[in-house]
Amino acid sequence: MNAVADYLSLVGRAIFWLAFGPFRRKPVRSAAVFTQLTLLGIRSIPMIALLSFFMGLVLAMQSAYQLSKLGANDYVAFLTTVAFFREIGPLFAAIVLASRCGSAITAELGTMKAAEEIEALEVMAIDPVRYLVSPRLLAVTLIMPSLAIIADFTGSFGGWVFGTASLGMDSTHYINLAVDSLVQKDILTGLCKAIIYAVLVSTIACYHGMAVTGGAEGVGRATTASVVSSLIAILSADVVMTAAFYVFV
Amino acid sequence: MTTAAETLRVQNLVKSFGGRRVLDDISFSVRRGEILVIMGGSGCGKSTLLRHLIGVLKPDSGEIWIEGEETTRMKNDSLARVRRKFGMLFQSGGLLNSMTVGENVALPIKEHSRVDDNIASLMVKMKLELVGLTGFENLRPAEISGGMKKRVGLARAIALDPTILFSDEPTSGLDPVMTAVVDTLTLDLVHKLGMTAVVVTHDMTSAFRIASKMIMLFQGKIIAQGTPDEIRASDNPVLKQFVDGQADGPIPLRLSKGDYLKHLIG
Repeated sequence: MNAVADYLSLVGRAIFWLAFGPFRRKPVRSAAVFTQLTLLGIRSIPMIALLSFFMGLVLAMQSAYQLSKLGANDYVAFLTTVAFFREIGPLFAAIVLASRCGSAITAELGTMKAAEEIEALEVMAIDPVRYLVSPRLLAVTLIMPSLAIIADFTGSFGGWVFGTASLGMDSTHYINLAVDSLVQKDILTGLCKAIIYAVLVSTIACYHGMAVTGGAEGVGRATTASVVSSLIAILSADVVMTAAFYVFV
Repeated sequence: MTTAAETLRVQNLVKSFGGRRVLDDISFSVRRGEILVIMGGSGCGKSTLLRHLIGVLKPDSGEIWIEGEETTRMKNDSLARVRRKFGMLFQSGGLLNSMTVGENVALPIKEHSRVDDNIASLMVKMKLELVGLTGFENLRPAEISGGMKKRVGLARAIALDPTILFSDEPTSGLDPVMTAVVDTLTLDLVHKLGMTAVVVTHDMTSAFRIASKMIMLFQGKIIAQGTPDEIRASDNPVLKQFVDGQADGPIPLRLSKGDYLKHLIG
């Protein structure tokens, strides 16, 4: 229970500095935010795009396996596109982010903790949460919607490749079906999920990094714990949000 | 309370780790412009004492007054305000490895004062000049030696001309010339800028060169305190053994004596 309270306090302080830092003449460093945007966000694009493309292909194949029996190949376009925009795109982006960036954040902050760099910051009266956590939270939250949209489009592209190449569907016909299948709600709920995932992944990773005890071994343990708890948090949040959108939106 | 001339006062400080008393009823005070040297063998509690002074550890009981403010029960915000008066030199330098030497020294300047980048870089050059590291701004901590890291740490500690300078083993790992440079620098900062310094060391040459007041810690207790002359003249056997650096004496070496064979065989 203590860990949950510590985690929530960390999230609260990180958000506090983002919101009120500028008024206390201690803004979060924009240079650090841009560095993290590049390191964590931009460099994840190839991996997210590749994995989503494969997933799009697989999803199209698996749905065609069932739907072609009913002569309903058109629904492959519907299903793949809607599934990606509502669910799989943001989820895949978050999973890649947790395994690629969450682990990197934990390892970096954990090493700093083990080398007493975080203690040095505190003694210099520099709040480590403002200096280290807030920029990462902001960077990941800013980039995540874009990553989710990239995953949405590359995944849908995977469906299109299978639809046109293997099912013999006309390209324009497929694209028309895909665009018609989407409503604004699908896109917005997907982006909403993406933002929540971003907050979860970045803060869980920072929390585990800042909580490292005991040298290199501790950093390794924290990195594993960070990825595992991020994945659990992402999927639990997914269940809750999907249920909420299903009932209320 | 600290009186007007007292910068730092420690009263009845007690700290235990796992049932072992690491600090046992420690009391002392340092006046403005004094250099206090805390001596003691490895594991006697001197680094723990320093970590209490800078607010990283909280004592089980006792008080620490810095410039008239009690710090052991302070919240983060107030502690940060008091810490702005500090400079702290960590034993291993405490540098941020992801930044260059120049950026490390510039860090407190950029965080706590609103100066132009050009002025900040000028200040960085001045501080690095003081510790004999001109021209090293663009190297990273991993690319310089341990002694150099320590000097960068010192440059960073004095970047904002603090009221109190805490140094943890400032001269260990330095060659004799650099030791003298660091000692002279500490003396200059105190005498010319009116800083107060608290230095933890077991380098006796350096300790007697800079100290205006010394305390000796042994098994968590202060066993002697006074001016360097009083310490030299003391006939306390523990103190004498430590100051003279003798192998035989009351300080336990944790070596097995007569039962060595028995100890080896188990």
